[in-house]
Amino acid sequence: MLKATLRSFLAHKGRLALSALAVILSVAFVAGSLIFSDTVTHTFDRLFASTAADVTVQPQQRDLRSARVSGSVQTLPAALRDRVAKVDGVAAARAEVSVQNAVVVDSRNRSVGPTTGAPTIAMAWHVTSRSPVRLTSGRAPRGAGQALLDADTAGKKHLRIGDTLTVQAQPDTFRVRVVGIATFTTTNPGAALLFLDPAVAGRELLGSAAKATSITADAVKGVSDAELKRRIGAALGSGAGARTGTGTYDLKTANEQAKSAAASLGAFLDVIKYVMLGFAGVALLVGVFLIVNTFSMLIAQRTRELGLLRALGADRRQVRRSVLTEALLLGLVGSTLGLGAGIGLALALIRLMTAFGMNLKATEMVIGWGTPVSAYVVGLGVTFVAAYLPARRAAAVSPMAALADAEVAGVGKPLKVRAVVGGVVGAVGAAALAGCAAATRTAQAASLLGLGVALTLIATVVAGPLLVRPVIRVLGGAFPALFGPVGRMSQRNALRNPRRTGATAAALMVGLALVGGMSVASASMSASFDRQIDKNLGADFIVQNTNFIPFTKEVRDKVAATPGVGLVVPQRLSPLDVRLPDGRRVRTSAAAYGPGLDDVVHIAYARGGSAAALADGRLAMDAGFARSHGVRVGSVVPVEFPGGRHTDLTVAALTDQDTTDGFGAQGGLYLGLATLEKYLPDAQDSVLYVNASPGTRAQDLRPRLERALRPFPQVQVRNQDDYKQLVHDQIAVLLYLVYALLGLAIVIAVLGVVNTLALSVVERTREIGLLRAIGLGRRQLRRMIRLESVVIAVFGAILGLALGLVWGVCMQRVLALRGLTALAIPWTTIVAVVLGSAVVGVVAALLPALRASRMNVLAAIAHE
Amino acid sequence: MSTPAAQHTPDGAVAARARGLTKAYGSGETAVIALDSVDVDIARGRFTAVMGPSGSGKSTLMHCLAGLDTVSAGQVWLGGTEITGLRDRELTRLRRDRVGFMFQSFNLIPTLTAAENITLPMDIAGRRPDERWLKQVIDTLGLRDRLRHRPAQLSGGQQQRVACARALASRPELIFADEPTGNLDSRAGREVLGFLRGAVDDLGQTVVMVTHDPGAAAHSDVVLFLADGHIEDAMERPTAEAVLEHMHLSTGGHPQTPWFDAVRGRLGDDDTDLEE
Repeated sequence: MLKATLRSFLAHKGRLALSALAVILSVAFVAGSLIFSDTVTHTFDRLFASTAADVTVQPQQRDLRSARVSGSVQTLPAALRDRVAKVDGVAAARAEVSVQNAVVVDSRNRSVGPTTGAPTIAMAWHVTSRSPVRLTSGRAPRGAGQALLDADTAGKKHLRIGDTLTVQAQPDTFRVRVVGIATFTTTNPGAALLFLDPAVAGRELLGSAAKATSITADAVKGVSDAELKRRIGAALGSGAGARTGTGTYDLKTANEQAKSAAASLGAFLDVIKYVMLGFAGVALLVGVFLIVNTFSMLIAQRTRELGLLRALGADRRQVRRSVLTEALLLGLVGSTLGLGAGIGLALALIRLMTAFGMNLKATEMVIGWGTPVSAYVVGLGVTFVAAYLPARRAAAVSPMAALADAEVAGVGKPLKVRAVVGGVVGAVGAAALAGCAAATRTAQAASLLGLGVALTLIATVVAGPLLVRPVIRVLGGAFPALFGPVGRMSQRNALRNPRRTGATAAALMVGLALVGGMSVASASMSASFDRQIDKNLGADFIVQNTNFIPFTKEVRDKVAATPGVGLVVPQRLSPLDVRLPDGRRVRTSAAAYGPGLDDVVHIAYARGGSAAALADGRLAMDAGFARSHGVRVGSVVPVEFPGGRHTDLTVAALTDQDTTDGFGAQGGLYLGLATLEKYLPDAQDSVLYVNASPGTRAQDLRPRLERALRPFPQVQVRNQDDYKQLVHDQIAVLLYLVYALLGLAIVIAVLGVVNTLALSVVERTREIGLLRAIGLGRRQLRRMIRLESVVIAVFGAILGLALGLVWGVCMQRVLALRGLTALAIPWTTIVAVVLGSAVVGVVAALLPALRASRMNVLAAIAHE
Repeated sequence: MSTPAAQHTPDGAVAARARGLTKAYGSGETAVIALDSVDVDIARGRFTAVMGPSGSGKSTLMHCLAGLDTVSAGQVWLGGTEITGLRDRELTRLRRDRVGFMFQSFNLIPTLTAAENITLPMDIAGRRPDERWLKQVIDTLGLRDRLRHRPAQLSGGQQQRVACARALASRPELIFADEPTGNLDSRAGREVLGFLRGAVDDLGQTVVMVTHDPGAAAHSDVVLFLADGHIEDAMERPTAEAVLEHMHLSTGGHPQTPWFDAVRGRLGDDDTDLEE
């Protein structure tokens, strides 16, 4: 029996190759993402582990990203260094200064930092064995006005020793001359590094020589990191996290420090991992259909052969096992090749990272044991699951099939079971979606949406064959009129085996349903944001950093000094810890605005107004959020700012806006700029709303503003249209991802259509011979197959898009609960996808049609 | 080799003609000669049967005359057109417009109704069928109430009648029938042969039929006997007995070959492969 299985596997290798490709693709994405993230994690773990000091003392960080939100850097007294240095077991202690809120600009006003989102880090130059860089040319910075630059950045931006740079730091802007170049001895994580003399770094970067961002200590031989941490903790107060004066300190050993640094990188890695796994998921989902279809067809084709095996005494289990063994062989081959392809994919990703400035060495690729295990589990699992139903069907072949002159099995079988299962699952799914559309709470709506999407997808796949007849009747209805008998035959051929047509189209359907849903959701998001911008934004211009992080205060000065500028309203953000009357503690971020808010932003108030909200010690809040937490106008809420500063704010206004949650902030809190400055004095502006003065036209002001802001390449002047475009571009990133998924789904779906057509051509060899004998030309024959392919592909596309539209509308309902109320259906995209699917059909038919038209007429007629 | 059929043409008109028709499969030492310089004239308006043992080249002769197969040497004319040397597209058009076909089995496209099958060659050509002629053919073959049926809903005899109607529908110059009764029981077979006979007598068509059945051959006007790639003999106004006797003589008294032929046909032991 095994021999027969192996023979059969080898005999059908051509057909199985297409299925194997589906397995390879999905395994490659799984393996590639695992290898990539393992490699990056490993590289950075080593980097962090090798560069972390034995013990690091830091201000307690409530929110690691607080600096990115507020522009304010948390500090500790530099004098702490001396106390740490006196601790028994400390060999050396340093007051570190390292900030990421400075912008470095060259003499031609170009930003020196990376444009890819990696930070620019300005820091004090300490020479230790743990330093990730080594001075390779020039000398160390001495005193103010001197700096070292890392070699990668210098190379990229064509900077040399002697060049002058402008550093826009939070306290002030200053100039430095590059006096030396430092080269990474470890992996360069893509950041730009600027080193200053430790003697001046605190004053230049933090505004005071008495401040530092952390204290690092090295242990003498024989003292463990943990022991040293304990001793320093004891010296500074009562152990780790001791409270001293205004701040609270975090103490970390080298290991802990490396781990927390790696954790902050983890979020970025997770994004890449999830994207890759998304691709793997789509490849798997679509691949399953391909495999099911291939095995179903192989078995249908071999009905007589299987019948003969049964007649010769093979029992059902043996037949089933034989088919499953074939599937496992396929899975084994596919997984192995997929693993190889995954390594290639990881290599490509590493190269791509290098292009973004992150120098990972491809030779240090890490392949953990989990990678091959996942690859084989995925590959074998998928083929096994996909082949199980066809295997059962094979086992059900009766010995009589060997003798019967039956046509291909499975054609005439009623689809009753499918109708019932599809109907029931579809009804439950539709009910879930309807529930989602009617739901009033986001969490409930989202879970109903997920359930509805899954169930309706299953229902459509199961009931797909039932839809083949009605839909293709309509789709191909014009074929006889348009293409004559060729069109009629292609339409009927597509209807011939609804199961097969349905399964073939399902692959395309799944992909397009996802795309349809996502494109409706993203179009709706764009439309909603447009509507909100139109409704809420009153300012002529918005000045903002390209990556939304805060910018130096000089920008505001420059803007305000520009002739023709009427009103400038700055916005600052701050992480905020709020204790609400109902006992809940909410970690959110609040905005702070300068006076004149009503002239640049239109806010709808339920109670109170802007003047009250921005008054000293006051706070505004979303009315819905306030209601659900028992807050009323006049309520006093205790809040905590970064750096541990506490105060009580009085709620003075309640807002009634469409959206309450923007950029992860909950509650829609905002307060006066004066209030924030009291508790977080060194925060930076993140947005400037600018109005032209009366008598100045906005379009005249714009070039002046741009000229004034030329020394600040990081900020941009945008009017309302630009701002909309910016939002669209951000949503477009999501769409590009969707299109990439679509591409993958299409590749696999094309394989499926090719597979089905190739088999149909073989099955209909005699018919094709007969047609050719009675006068069907080669070109007509090719057209017949092409039209069949197009009709299958368009069928899949229409089913998928219809499903996707329903999903998209439901997704929009969920978004509407978050204030994104506009519904937009991207009809051009949808029409383009339908047309594209017809092209997919034509492409898929190329080879099978060529093969059919090349058939020898006589041999085809004699074919059995 | 003489051209036995030519001298029997009543009005001298020839529907198809071959001169020095040679067909070899393979090449060099292993070449098999299926037809060896055959000269033949198919008379217009008559019913010609081609008989011969398995491997005698009778089907090859028909395929070459019908433009289904290429020839190794010699010339073939259909009416006044020389078809040897025509390209695939021209041959396809010729088959579509000027030749009718009936095969032993699998004659119809399963997805099309009987009516659609009948008019298929004309539909492919984009020509409108001659409605009066079509009506006459359909009525003659008794298919009026079967027109909307799919092949699967028809009996074997009915299917062959539809095939016959298709072959007649475009009023071709020549109808080739390859063992048209091979898969039918004797009653249905006789019926189909009767229709072919009628097509010649009443509708003025020209029919060439390849068969191994003396009873079927007896319906024809003239029987051509093929053996080893040669036309050995011709028999005018054949009867079943005369044909059988002729076969006895040429195969040494044992009419086995046709029987073998029939068995071969049913078992389908050709070297065909489902997978290619």
